[in-house]
Amino acid sequence: MQMQIELTSRPIDLCRELPRELAGAAGAAVEFQGIVRGKENGGAVAALEYEAYPPMAERVMRQTVTELGRQHPCLFVRVTHRVGVVPVGAAAIHVVAAARHRVEAFAMVTKFMDRLKQDVPIWKVRALGRPEFAASKPQ
Amino acid sequence: MRILFFAHLKDVTGTADTEIKLGESLDADALWQRLIAAYPGLARFRGSVRLARNGEYAGADARFDDADEVALIPPVSGG
Repeated sequence: MQMQIELTSRPIDLCRELPRELAGAAGAAVEFQGIVRGKENGGAVAALEYEAYPPMAERVMRQTVTELGRQHPCLFVRVTHRVGVVPVGAAAIHVVAAARHRVEAFAMVTKFMDRLKQDVPIWKVRALGRPEFAASKPQ
Repeated sequence: MRILFFAHLKDVTGTADTEIKLGESLDADALWQRLIAAYPGLARFRGSVRLARNGEYAGADARFDDADEVALIPPVSGG
């Protein structure tokens, strides 16, 4: 299984193509975007600020994908998580899983997100209300 | 030993990281006692914070020494 795990302070490129070598092998690709909402804890926000413990966050994400891959074999998994200020409407996380069949790819994405929210050392540390952080348009 | 604080724990301690000298190997309970002595505000978060040792969650039987990097991991909220 190919794996790409990345933390980035830049907007996530949601249009990255799958590796060419998957052509002919992958029968399904499942994608998830976690998008910043305009309300957090009942209050309007313009952006969320994320903080990570990078080496451990990347390691735990890698371990999680590896572990889930034994149960739900996939050909390729890419996880990209933003850190820093992420405006409303922008993706804070993007997960793509490709597999021979859809069941494995859906399971990988769903279970990975569950585990991320339990174990990966990344935090929403601040909700910013200042309009200058608002996205001009969704990505 | 290098200690890292994240999220609201940075506000509690007033710092993102610090160095402490243990001089001996400690278990998690003894390490927490040292940390709370240095930063009393951490006491109320002890029940919800996990310890990581050199980038891995520390097991119940983990021991910590001066060469380690220890991170205090409050409940995570990524995604």
